[in-house]
This record gives sequence, C-alpha cells and structure tokens, in this order.
Amino acid sequence: MMRWRTTMDRLIVLAIILAAWQVGSFLVGPYWLSSPWAVAARFCAQLWSGELIRQSGYTIEESLIGTLVGGVPAVLLPFLLRRRPVLVAILDPFMVGGYGAPKLAFAPLFILWFGIGIESKIALVASVVFFIVYFNTLSGVRALDPRLVQMAQIAGAGEWHIARHIIFPAAVPHILAGFRIAVPYAIGGAIIAELISSNRGLGYLVQTGAMNFDTTSVFAAILAATLIVLAANWLLNVAERALLRWRPPAQAVLDTGN
Amino acid sequence: MTDAGLTAAMVSDAPAAARKRVVVAGRLLLAVLLVLGWELGARTLGSVFFAAPLDVAARIVTLARSGQLAADVASTLRVSALGFAIACVAGVLLPFLLRRSPRVSTAVEPYIMASMGIPKYALAPWLILWFGIGDLPKLVVVTLMVFYIIFITTTAGIRAVDQRLIAMARVAGAGETAIAREIIWKSLLPFFFTGLKVALPRAVSATIVGEFLVATEGVGHYIEYSRQVADTVGVFAGIVIAIVLVLAINAVVNVIERRALAWRPVEREMEL
Amino acid sequence: MGEAPLLEIRGLGKRFPARHGREPSPWVIQGLSFSVHPGEFLTIVGPSGAGKSTLLNMIAQIDTVSEGEIVFDGETMASRDARALRPGCGRRIGYVTQDDNLLPWRTTFDNVLFPIEVQGRLDDKTRAHAEMLVRAVGLAGFERYYPHELSGGMRKRAALIRTLAYDPPVILMDEPFAAVDAQTRTQLQADLLRLWNLGRKTIIFVTHDITEAIALGDRALVLSRQPTRIAAEHAIPIPRPRNVQDIFALEGFAAVYQRIRSDIQ
Repeated sequence: MMRWRTTMDRLIVLAIILAAWQVGSFLVGPYWLSSPWAVAARFCAQLWSGELIRQSGYTIEESLIGTLVGGVPAVLLPFLLRRRPVLVAILDPFMVGGYGAPKLAFAPLFILWFGIGIESKIALVASVVFFIVYFNTLSGVRALDPRLVQMAQIAGAGEWHIARHIIFPAAVPHILAGFRIAVPYAIGGAIIAELISSNRGLGYLVQTGAMNFDTTSVFAAILAATLIVLAANWLLNVAERALLRWRPPAQAVLDTGN
Repeated sequence: MTDAGLTAAMVSDAPAAARKRVVVAGRLLLAVLLVLGWELGARTLGSVFFAAPLDVAARIVTLARSGQLAADVASTLRVSALGFAIACVAGVLLPFLLRRSPRVSTAVEPYIMASMGIPKYALAPWLILWFGIGDLPKLVVVTLMVFYIIFITTTAGIRAVDQRLIAMARVAGAGETAIAREIIWKSLLPFFFTGLKVALPRAVSATIVGEFLVATEGVGHYIEYSRQVADTVGVFAGIVIAIVLVLAINAVVNVIERRALAWRPVEREMEL
Repeated sequence: MGEAPLLEIRGLGKRFPARHGREPSPWVIQGLSFSVHPGEFLTIVGPSGAGKSTLLNMIAQIDTVSEGEIVFDGETMASRDARALRPGCGRRIGYVTQDDNLLPWRTTFDNVLFPIEVQGRLDDKTRAHAEMLVRAVGLAGFERYYPHELSGGMRKRAALIRTLAYDPPVILMDEPFAAVDAQTRTQLQADLLRLWNLGRKTIIFVTHDITEAIALGDRALVLSRQPTRIAAEHAIPIPRPRNVQDIFALEGFAAVYQRIRSDIQ
C-alpha cells in the first residue's frame, strides 16, 4: 500500500517538474529553455541516427580507459606496500596533496601535452580516479582484522595466499566504494576536457550546441551524460550486491541516500 | 612471519624514533627527486611541453609584483565564497524543510539523487547563453557543486540524530522549531563540518575549472589563456598557484575544525 | 605414557614492552614450566583473562617469548624475535581461538576447507574428511551459509572442525566453548571427545570452568594469578570413555573438583 502511494507521489512530482519546464518554456521562449517534448524528440532522433551513440561512445571510452589506467595502480599500490608502512608514510603527504589538489585544473596542461585527442582525456580521468581509489583501497587494507591474518598463518598460508584470500576480500567493499565515488568524477572529468577542447564526445556536442544557440541539442546531450552516470552507478550497485552477499546486514550509521 | 606492527605485544619502542627519522628523510628525498625530475623534464622535453621550475618561480614573482596574482586570486575567491555561501544556506535549509514532511521527502528523493548525476560543468555553455560571459555562469556551477555536498551531509546528519532525544523534547513540550534548533542542529554539527571541509576546497577548484570555460579573469582563466597562447610557463605557474590556493584553504579549514570541535572525541572521517 | 614429551615449556616468562620512558612493565607470566605427552588431552584452568591466551599465543608462535624456552618435538623454538616466529610451527600446531575468526566472505564449508586449500592438499579424500566432520558436529545442511547467517555455537563448531580438518598433531584451544549456552557446551564437549578419540591428537585446552577441565582432560594444570605460573597439577583418574552429560555423577569427580577449586583460591 505504501509502495503504491510512494510511486504515485513520485510520478506526481515528475509531472510537476515537466509541467513547470513546459510553462517556463512558454514564458521565456524555446530559445532559452527548450521544452520537455523538444528535448525528448531530439534525444530520440539523435539516438536513432546513431549520432548520440557515437558521441556517447567516445565519452564512455575516455572515462573507462581513464578509470582503468588510474584505478588499477591505485588498487595495487596499497597491497604492494602493505608490509612497508615506512614507504606508505613517506608517500602519504604527496598522496594527500595529490588528492587535495584540483586535478581538473590540470586539464589545460594535459591538453597541452597530449593534444585534443583521446589521450588528454584519459590522462585527466586517470589522475582524478587514482587518488580517490588509492585512499579508499588503503583504508580497506588497513582496516583488516589482524586475527584473521594470524589464523591463516597458523593454518600454513604464505604471503600470496594471505593477500589473495584474506586481504583482498576484506578490501573489496572499500575498493568498490572508491570506484563508486570516482565514477561521477571520471565521467565529469572527461566531459570537462571535451568542453575545453575536443572534436568528439558529449562535451563536444554540448559545446557545439551552445555555439549554434541550439538549446535543445545541449539539453539532449546533457540528458545523455546524466543517463550514463546513473547507469554506471547502477552497474556498480549491482556489482556490489553480487560481490558482497556475504556481508552481515549491519546498517551503516550514515545512509548517504543511496 | 608475523604481521609486523599489528599486534600490540610485538611493537617495540626503540626503533620507533629511528623510523620517524627515516620517514622524514624519505619525504625530503622524494620531494627533491620530484623537483629534479621536473627540471630534467624541462631540459629534455623542450619548453613547449615543460616549463623549468626556476622560470615558473620567476613568473609567479612577476605576477605577484604586478598585482595580477592578487587580482586573479581575489576574483576566484570572490566567486567561490559567494557560491559556497549560497549553497550552504540552501544545502542546510532544504533538508530541514524536507524533514517536515516525510511524504514529500520520499517523493522528491530519487529526483534529487538523479539530478546529482548531471555533470554540472556541462551546464556552463548553456549558462553562458543566458548570462553571457561574467561571474554568473561560474557562480551557478559552483553553487550547484557545493549544494549537493552540503545537502547530502546534512541529510545524513539529520538521519543520524537520536530519535529518543527528539521524543523526549516533544514530551517536554518543545515545538518543531525548538527541536530543530536545539537537538538536530547541535547533533548535526560534526557532519556539517565534514561537509564544509570537503566542499570549501571543491568550491575553489570548481571556480577555477569554471574559469576555463568562461571568464576574463581569475586563476583558471589565466591557466587556460596561457595554454591558448602557448605560454607554457604561464600554464605551469597558474597550476602551481591553483594547487597552493586549494591546499591553503584545506589547511585553514582543518585548523578551524580542530578549534571548533576540540571537545569531541576523534571521529572517523566520512568518506565522500 | 613413557614416551618423551612432545612439548616442553621451560621457565617461560612474558612481559609486554615498556612504554617509552616509563618503568618496565610487570611480568604477566614468569617461571612457567610444564610438559605435554603425545596423545594427551591436557586442560589448563585459571581465572579469566590473565595469561591463558598469552601462553597459547606463545606456544602457537604468534607472540614472542621474553624468557625461557619452548621445545617442540625436540626442537627449541627461537621466539624472542618477532621476525623469527613461525606461526603454527609449519602446520604442526593448530589453534582454535576464542574468536572464531571465520572468514566472513566464505561459506561455512569453504571456511572449513580453508587451511587444506591453502596447504595445497585439497582433493577428494580431504574433502570427504571435511564433509564427515561437518556431519559429525551437526552442521550438515549449512555448508553454503555465510558466517553471519549462523548462530554463535554453529560458528564455534565450524572453527573447531576447520582445525580438525587438516589434522595437525597438536591442537591448542582457548576457551572455545565459553561463549556458548550450557546445553550446546556439553554437546560440543562430547563431540570434541569423540573426535579426539578417532585420532588421538595432543590437545591443550584452556578454560576457566573447572568442570570442563575435569570432564575433558587426562591431566589438569592450575594457573596462579599474575605473574602466572603453574600452581598445581592434577591427574584426572576418571576412566574413558566419559559421559560428559553426567560428569558430576562419575566416580572421582567430586574429589578432583574439590582439590582443584581449593588450588584456585
């Protein structure tokens, strides 16, 4: 009963939003705000023609490769350094500095170095993802219960087995959390780099749309980008639920609304 | 071989001081290596891609002397501060308002979460259509960025409030506003500060990025403009200034937090 | 048993490292000596907390020794230095700890198989042996469950058979049944004795419960208060096989119980 009412409420809110948009469009003119219908139509047209798919493909490609290039070393490093706390301590201020420094501010530098092609976008995304995933993985590796490691040692496990069977599974929730946080930044970073300078991708569509005073195009591209971010989040949720079936259903004190 | 350092019984005291010295030495070494690497890069890769550290330092001094540094930083900070302030107010107010009606809360929640997925910077070109080049597009983007951070942390904080305290207050006859002010706001403070800590540096970096896309002044504008005229030294100098700025703000916020929450036991950091 | 002792503890001492600048910390264990014979079930009784777990930790080689020697199978173990420790002594010493330490991301059966898997001995024979143990402690049907879905008693049983499954000659047990209700505890004790009978391993079982010490052991050692040493040693004359459910009624129980209890005062 409650579920049905909530769904109805949500549909009503959606209707209100779309109606307000449409009204605004009448008042201010389609040039400024476009309209729900126009955006939907353009979105479908571009989807059908393949244009949207192609440009989205570029953006997704940049985000994906960048996430791998940045994420994989970020996951490996805490494992490799697990037994060298001195090295971790030495690196710490640099990592914190790298995390705090605005990587997106490097966008012009990467474009300077790698040109306006895909490489500069990958570099930007990788730099953003790396620090986020590093700190999350590190906290996962550190949060390990040492008694589990001792148990494994008594059972005769060597370094490799301990890393694979104890450290890694314990760290997986943290690694996933890291990627969860990083994904919107990854896609956003790719789009920003495209906005500044590119001839492909969703950011490029937004930029050209704006330059042609074609608000409808701009919104259609933004809609596509948003859908990609939401889809990526959803995928990670699914992965998390599948990989973490073993977790006791202890409620986190903070529900950050996911 | 036991897991060194994990069992209290095994930690010995004597090497601890020596370890600290090694760590500090290691950090200095790494820093020196990085600067050397930078210098080497400048020498081998040519001045198009790399600016030599000394040149960059010299440029920063020039900018400082001419007053441009101050002007750009001021511009960036002005927009960040304003956006941050607006977003804070909205980000705190909205959760409190939503709290009044759980029904509206649940209805609206998925849309707020979905809107979080909109790449805010992608709105910049459209905002330029509306407002032209100036402070306003940057301001809107920054405000949106910070808003979500504050909103989420505040909502989490409100949810974490002990319901029994609220029930107790109601029994004692307190009205909604009093409850909001006394109990919720106070319990909320640590979460709020976590949000501030994260949001403030983000506000500054968001402004800088916004300035890439639309600006006539500001640190970000300086970086992007230098790139467009192939002034590599300028790009490097601007980035260094940007990094220093954001890290400085980080440090200031840390100090303020330590003072304000000195009475609290150490809380685990929320991961945002 | 006239054989040479399998395990000898000579003058064992343990103190934790002093904090920087402060006085050296007091001895937790000092001058503790005893020996264990092959195939013996030795119980150790003492007040809760104190040095019981520390003692087992040192024998299992996961904690350093401050003083004295541990001789296992004729070989003196070098345990002063943390880096020289060899946990489990090459898998010859198993350790059932107070916390079950099950891996939360593995199913019950995979947890039981964990040591075997890690030792590279996983095959049909070892798997069948593990399955037999699962049935023997009443966990049949729960093999695919995750630890958080099991009750405390079930997790204890899983931890117990995890060690039994890979068959180390010596098994240390640190109050494994302490956190379990009385009925389950007697059941687990009976299961343990039955399984021990099958293989005649050497078991060192630590407990604060005098009844348990008498019901299970061939010999019971009583620990003193800090600095802990062996206060007394009692042979348990009750013949095997023993019915742990009715241990109170068995001949000789009351006498031993009185003796041990007066030692503990």
